[in-house]
Order: sequence, then structure tokens, then C-alpha cells
Amino acid sequence: MIQFQQVSKSYPGGFDAIKNLSFEVPDGELVFLAGHSGAGKSTLLKLMAGIEKPSSGAVLLNGQNLARMSRASLPFVRRHIGLIFQDHKILYDRNVFDNVRLPLDIIGFDHMEGRRRVLAALDKVGLAGKEKLNPVSLSGGEQQRLCIARAVVHRPSILLADEPTANLDSDYAHDILELFKSFHQVGVTILISAHDESLMMDYGRRILRLKHGQFCA
Amino acid sequence: MKNWFRLHLLALTRTIGSLFRHPLGSLLNLLVIGITTALPLALWTLIMSVSQISDQVSVEPELSVFLRHSATAEDVKGLQATLKADARWLKVEFIPKANALAALQANLGASDLTAGLAENPLPDAFVLQAKENDPAGLEALKKELSSIVIIEEVQLDSDWAERLARITDLGRAIFEVLASLLALALVLITGNAIRMQILTRRDEIEVAKLIGATDSFIRRPFMHAALVQGLLGGGVAVLIVWGLVAYVNPTVIELASAYGQSVSLLAPDALTIVVVCLASAVLCLIGASLAVSRYLYQFR
Ligand SMILES: Nc1ncnc2c1ncn2[C@@H]1O[C@H](COP(=O)(O)OP(=O)(O)OP(=O)(O)O)[C@@H](O)[C@H]1O
Ligand SMILES: [Mg+2]
Repeated sequence: MIQFQQVSKSYPGGFDAIKNLSFEVPDGELVFLAGHSGAGKSTLLKLMAGIEKPSSGAVLLNGQNLARMSRASLPFVRRHIGLIFQDHKILYDRNVFDNVRLPLDIIGFDHMEGRRRVLAALDKVGLAGKEKLNPVSLSGGEQQRLCIARAVVHRPSILLADEPTANLDSDYAHDILELFKSFHQVGVTILISAHDESLMMDYGRRILRLKHGQFCA
Repeated sequence: MKNWFRLHLLALTRTIGSLFRHPLGSLLNLLVIGITTALPLALWTLIMSVSQISDQVSVEPELSVFLRHSATAEDVKGLQATLKADARWLKVEFIPKANALAALQANLGASDLTAGLAENPLPDAFVLQAKENDPAGLEALKKELSSIVIIEEVQLDSDWAERLARITDLGRAIFEVLASLLALALVLITGNAIRMQILTRRDEIEVAKLIGATDSFIRRPFMHAALVQGLLGGGVAVLIVWGLVAYVNPTVIELASAYGQSVSLLAPDALTIVVVCLASAVLCLIGASLAVSRYLYQFR
């Protein structure tokens, strides 16, 4: 369960990216997050992952206030979350396999079992056989899939995807959304942000519409 | 526990792997650490070698008694008898001037030394060793001997041993200052080297932190790198000093033998080597730890 209680976020310089938002996402729900560029989608997802701290209000994960959490315990909360960053944050100094492996290394996962997990995740997103490649040699869509594999390899209970379909044609975008649907079917709570609302319409899910940091109809 | 060990082992092999991936940079780093550590180690080696001489001497100090050239054979015999009868002396050895000259010639390897001389310039001498070796008592004995008419000069060889000990004390003081300064330098050097390594891995650290890495996960590879570099750097320092000792020892031995001494510089022993490598490793770890902590702090 993710809860926002009257959350506001203003960045240094006094700009209010999020204004007094309250909502809940129950466990296992798939929710879309729509809004224009600068509406605050990325900020909202970062607040959920504890990457940004709210200026006022509280963000609760399973009843725990992220802002009250000690610095030492935040990493362990993050391990229950799979993050897909808008700017990808792929590491180009290592191959596809090692990129996907990173979350397992962080957890201290068993070596052989970790290997199986990485290959399974790559297979799931359709990158089987490309584990030895350097990420630069992947297409935009493939890089997006790499990000998804890295976000799910440690089987998080929450998946936060920031514009995973950006810059993809609509067929490819639907492929990616189908992928998320399959994670949803195994019980993962998922938030997906996008500019393009038309893409979300077909899925009949809840859509949170952001405009200048506030919800609109 | 097993997992913890495995993680460290994995990170350690990666660290050693990355040393070989950047051979030039690693080598330069090791040399910097090695040279920094070699300086105090070399000084320490010198101090130990010198103090070994003065220790040797001050255990059984001897008095060298040189007689006047005017002393007759009877005078000498009489003095020898008196000294032998005196219970305060443990050892009384007479060295006729002819023997002294022969020894000098042998030492210097110059057989024609006396060729130009009309007579032997060296005096007859006694070498005495007292029963009691306390400095005040020796000084009193020296005074007493000096008052005998046929004795020209009395030299207490613990005098120069004492002087040597003073010099090594000074050396030790210099060593302490130098070692402290260079220890600080080593911390700063590795701190800076690790800071550079952190900067080249900034992206990786950022992503790792975002997806749930603890500070110790971030810290671990850098600490391993510092540990390996510190140990190897200490090894380089030992090699440098070994080379130095091997290089200057022939000269030292030659010089010492000209003074009738058998002295050589001591190469670092096993204990010293272990201490040096550990000290350099610990200092590198401190430097790395400071660099990582500082980075993690400003990352927040
Ligand atoms: N680190 C930051 N410092 C200052 N201002 C920021 C920062 N991050 C975001 N903002 C501002 O907050 C507002 C919301 O940004 P956010 O990235 O959440 O928008 P977004 O909906 O994700 O936009 P996009 O679709 O372009 O990614 C923007 O006006 C942006 O300029
Ligand atoms: Mg965004």
C-alpha cells in the first residue's frame, strides 16, 4: 500500500512541483500517471521511492513514513521497489548481463542462482542472447527493455516506471505495456507514467492525471 | 557469514583484476606508495644498523692506553706487572708497537707504508677491560691511568660508542617526525587516488544508491583497492630498501674494515617487513575511508 497524505514538494528556488496531493495505491494495483511535461510525474515517483523528500505531508509505504526512516534503513526499503528511470541510468562500462545483475549484487544474491535470475529476466523482456553485448549497441526500445529487466530481476513488490514508452512507436509501446501487465498479473503493484494518455485508454485502469502538480479530471 | 566472505572474496578478485586492467596507473600508484614508505624504512634500517654497533661496543667497553715513546722496556714491563696484579682489571693485553704497525698494514693493505719512515711512529699500547663497566667507575680509572708518567693518552672506547648512541637517538627523533609526516602523506595520497577512482565510477555509485545499495556496499570495493595497494606498496618499499642496502653495503663494509670493524647495513627482517606492509595498508585504508565517507556525505 502506497499512501500520499497532503504531500507537497517544492524544489530549491521555490518552485512547487507537487501541490498538496493525497491518494492511495492499494497492493497489486496497476495505475497510470499522465500529465504534460513538467506536470510533476517524475517528482511524484521519486517521492514514492524516497529519492526526494516531501516539503510537507507524508509518503507512506506499507504504513511507514519514508521521511521518518533512518538513513541506514532506506536502502532496504528500496530493495522492495523496482525503478525504471526516465533517463535510463544504464551503465555503459559493462555488458547487458552485468547491468541487470547490479540489484542482485547489492542484495548479495547467490552467484549461480543470480545468474539464472538475470538470464530469466532478460528472456522475459525479449533480450535473450544479448547478455554479452554492450548496452550502446542496443536500440532505444531494447535499452528500455534492459531497464525493465534490471528493475524486476530482484522481484520487487512495487514497480515504478517513469515513461517506459517514451520515444517508442505505438506497437512497441503496447508490447512494453503488455510486459507490465504480465508483472501485474503476478501481484506486483505498478505505477507507469507517460505523456501520451491515448496509450493508457485501452487498458481500463485507473489514471492519475497531473497538471502543474495537482490532479485534474 | 559464508555469503559475507564470498562477497569480499568476489570483490577482492575484482579489485586485483582492475589492477591489471590499468597496469600503468596501478604501477605508478604502487611506486608512489612504495617510495613514500621506503624513506622512513631506509632511515630505520640505518638506525638499526648503527645502534647495533654501539650496542656491541658498550657491552664490554675497553680502554686503550698509549705509552710515551720515551718509555723504556723496563718501564713497560713494570707497568704490565702492576696492571696484571690489579684486581680491578679483567683483561690486560699488551700490544707492542711492531704488532700495531703490522695490523695497520694488513688493514690498509699497504705493504710499503713504512718504506719512507726511519722508525715506527706508533706507540706501545695496552688494551684493558675493567671488571665493572659503570661509566663513572670507568671515567675514574681513566683519570688514574692518565696520571701515570709513562702513559701518554688513555682512550675509553665507550666514549665514541656513547657518541654513536647520541647520534642514533637523534636519528630516532628524526625518524619519528619523518615517519609521522610521511604517514600523513600516505593517507592524503591514497585519499586522493581513491577520490579519483570514485569520480570515474560516479554513475555506478549513483545507480547503486538509487536501487538500494548500502553505504558499505559502495565503500567495499574502494577499501579492497586500498588494502591491496597498501600491502603491495609496502612490498615495493621493502624491495626498494633491499636494493638500497645491497647497493651501498660493499662500500660500507670496505669503509668499516679500514677502521678495523666488521660492519654492514642490515636488510629489513621478517618482522619489519610485516609491520611495514601492515602499516602502509592501514594508512591506505584510512585514506580511502576518508575519501569515500566524504563522497557519501556530499552525495546525500
Ligand atoms: N531537481 C530539480 N530541481 C529543481 N526543479 C526541478 C527538479 N526536478 C524537477 N524540477 C521541476 O519540477 C517540475 C516537475 O518536474 P518533473 O520532472 O516531475 O516533471 P515530469 O512530469 O516528469 O516532466 P517530463 O514529462 O518532462 O519528464 C518541473 O517544472 C521541473 O522543472
Ligand atoms: Mg519526468
